[in-house]
Amino acid sequence: MPKIVGIDLGTTNSLVAIVEDGTPRVLPGRDGGMLVPSVIYFEEGGTTLVGNPAKEKLVEKPKNTVFSIKRFMGKGIEDVREDLPLLPFEVAPDSDHIIRLKIFGRDYTPPELSAFILRELKRNAEAALGEEIKSAVITVPAYFNDAQRQATKDAGRIAGLDVLRIVNEPTAASLAYGLDKRKQGTIAVYDFGGGTFDISILKLSEGIFEVLSTSGDTHLGGDDIDEILIRLVLGELKRRPDVHQLQAIRKAVNKAKEELSAIDRAYITVQELQYGREITREEFNKLIGPIIERTLRPCRQALQDAGLKPADVDEVVMVGGSTRIPLVRQRVQELFGRVPHTELNPDEVVALGAAVQADILAGSKRDMLLLDVTPLSLGIETMGGVMSKIIPRNSTIPASATEMFTTFIDGQTNVKIHVLQGERELVKDCRSLAQFDLKDIPAMPAGLPRIEVKFLIDADGILSVSAQEQRTNKYQSIEVKPTYGLTDEQVEQMILESFEYAEADIEARLVIEARNEAETVLNATAKGIADEEYANISEEEKAEITAAVSRLREVMRTNDHQVIRQAIERLSNATMHLAELIMNAAISKALKDKRVREIQ
Amino acid sequence: MDYFEVFGLPRLLGIDTLVLEKTFHNLSRKYHPDYFTTASPSEKTRAVRLTALLNDAYRTLRNPVRRVEYLLSLYGFKPDSSKVPQALLMEVFEINERLEEVKAGRASVEEADSLRAQIKEKRERFDSELQRASLEWDELMKRSEGEPKLKDQLVRLTEILSESSYIRNLEEELE
Repeated sequence: MPKIVGIDLGTTNSLVAIVEDGTPRVLPGRDGGMLVPSVIYFEEGGTTLVGNPAKEKLVEKPKNTVFSIKRFMGKGIEDVREDLPLLPFEVAPDSDHIIRLKIFGRDYTPPELSAFILRELKRNAEAALGEEIKSAVITVPAYFNDAQRQATKDAGRIAGLDVLRIVNEPTAASLAYGLDKRKQGTIAVYDFGGGTFDISILKLSEGIFEVLSTSGDTHLGGDDIDEILIRLVLGELKRRPDVHQLQAIRKAVNKAKEELSAIDRAYITVQELQYGREITREEFNKLIGPIIERTLRPCRQALQDAGLKPADVDEVVMVGGSTRIPLVRQRVQELFGRVPHTELNPDEVVALGAAVQADILAGSKRDMLLLDVTPLSLGIETMGGVMSKIIPRNSTIPASATEMFTTFIDGQTNVKIHVLQGERELVKDCRSLAQFDLKDIPAMPAGLPRIEVKFLIDADGILSVSAQEQRTNKYQSIEVKPTYGLTDEQVEQMILESFEYAEADIEARLVIEARNEAETVLNATAKGIADEEYANISEEEKAEITAAVSRLREVMRTNDHQVIRQAIERLSNATMHLAELIMNAAISKALKDKRVREIQ
Repeated sequence: MDYFEVFGLPRLLGIDTLVLEKTFHNLSRKYHPDYFTTASPSEKTRAVRLTALLNDAYRTLRNPVRRVEYLLSLYGFKPDSSKVPQALLMEVFEINERLEEVKAGRASVEEADSLRAQIKEKRERFDSELQRASLEWDELMKRSEGEPKLKDQLVRLTEILSESSYIRNLEEELE
């Protein structure tokens, strides 16, 4: 069995870990350190350095030393506009749907840049273990959306890793905390890292780690605290600093921030600017108070979503470097009314948990199972720019939803579906995931095609979509245009491949699908019979519908998909006229309705 | 396979959620994709699909309102909030106006609290109505009653959901 590693691809630092003899441990890098700073330095001519040697170049070579790239994953330029003035990077013009950083005349996307870090971790693991590493589990913030997860997976592929699972950081941490020794209980994981914040509430029972709810902010972390301090310094300077000086300030405030976790006062010293100032912890706390407050709102939301009160939580676990800040610990303790766990190194615990999950996937650990949730509701755009939710947030994944679509114009062969993630009512307030184009729909009168579209969120929290026209039983071809992320053929090919089914279980699948379809058609028929248009069809037609319904009811529990299909077809044919009448009535009633979700 | 069948349950609305959870955990241990990493692609796909079905079923059945909604959908019934009594609509309209005041920050804390209490009380009344009607459904099923009686009960359940959907939406908005 080849070894599977667990990787924490962090905003500030990245780590790789493995379980050996039942115990997870972090694998050291070339310099012996456990943390690989998530920094990439580009030399003219193409050589790169990753980790500590790259971190040393941050001040000296600001334009070609990339840091905190995780904050750009799955995003477009508009998403990070506010951060750009404080960042030394040059952004290429074509960055609306994926950010491209220009380094020595070449464009790099965030997945490509993250792949440099992953390759370094892969090499470190191979050096430490003495064998080739091909597969990994990679962690992401629980609150990462579909595009951010996909970007992480793409990064793994680019680095030559088979990404067996994308795991949420707080849940990974809970696996590492040895909490499984506790048989029952409710745990809150507060994960405040360099760039992102997550809260997850888990219920533990006999080795099953079931996430009840999760919330967070993928743009809230130690970097934001640094930025507050940078702005403090900038406000006290007479001139605007250049990029070198800006990076020197960043380094100085970061050092002061870290010191303030241990002592009451620290100095921000920027030699390049002959600048220095003292900062007390009290002053620091006042500055960062609002940021910490922003982490408490998601905590309350997650508790509410889980149907719990703070007192119902049995253990609170702290994860991420920013939880070293005393004020963070204090506020979390106040909220939950108990002292949080800080025994494990908050920088390492996620990687250790990723290794435990890798061990579960390798098949060596069957007593533990992680049941995670999707952090954001999935929906589709409906009439009037309204988002209609089809999979609610905090649904256990994998999760699925089936929706019925039809055409609006006679002979229409294309239907567009706009998929979104978010909690707000209007499309413009949600995150666009992708446009799906259902193509080659058989030409029929408007409203007659019945295209069943299945949305599936897999165990990585990533969406796939498949479609079938119900009257012709044909799988529809789908063209996917992701709103954010890589659009190359490779990714597209991969998505299409996931719709293809292997032959082994084709029989069972066909039966299940035929039954599902039978349910759908029966429901639609029942609705049709309840419709006033039912009075306008002939008695013969009514009799045939009744006969076809009872036939379908009779055969749908058998294991013969062909018989079920025949019965469905009979009923479909029997209701064709009725469906037409209803559709015509509906169309004349609501001409504006672009998408009829279900045939009445 | 319908959601009741996934859990090996008859189409009854009274479900012991502790037993349901236990079955959910046991089935998860059997089908979860985590246990099929090294399996063939078709087995992997199967694991994902079965687990998705299991998760969808659990999400639906553990919640008493979604459970009823789902049962109704199996018989082709769908709650329709446009078919509610005029008196209720007026009441909802009035509550909604007060809710707007609260949301705009024009209402006092006491007013907001009393609105919250009123909505909660109404919702709880619907909850107990729904519970009663659910029990009646189970009785009819257990007595193997004929279709007309079952259908009447489905209509009744549909009505309760149609009427309570307003209150539920208001309550969600308030949160």
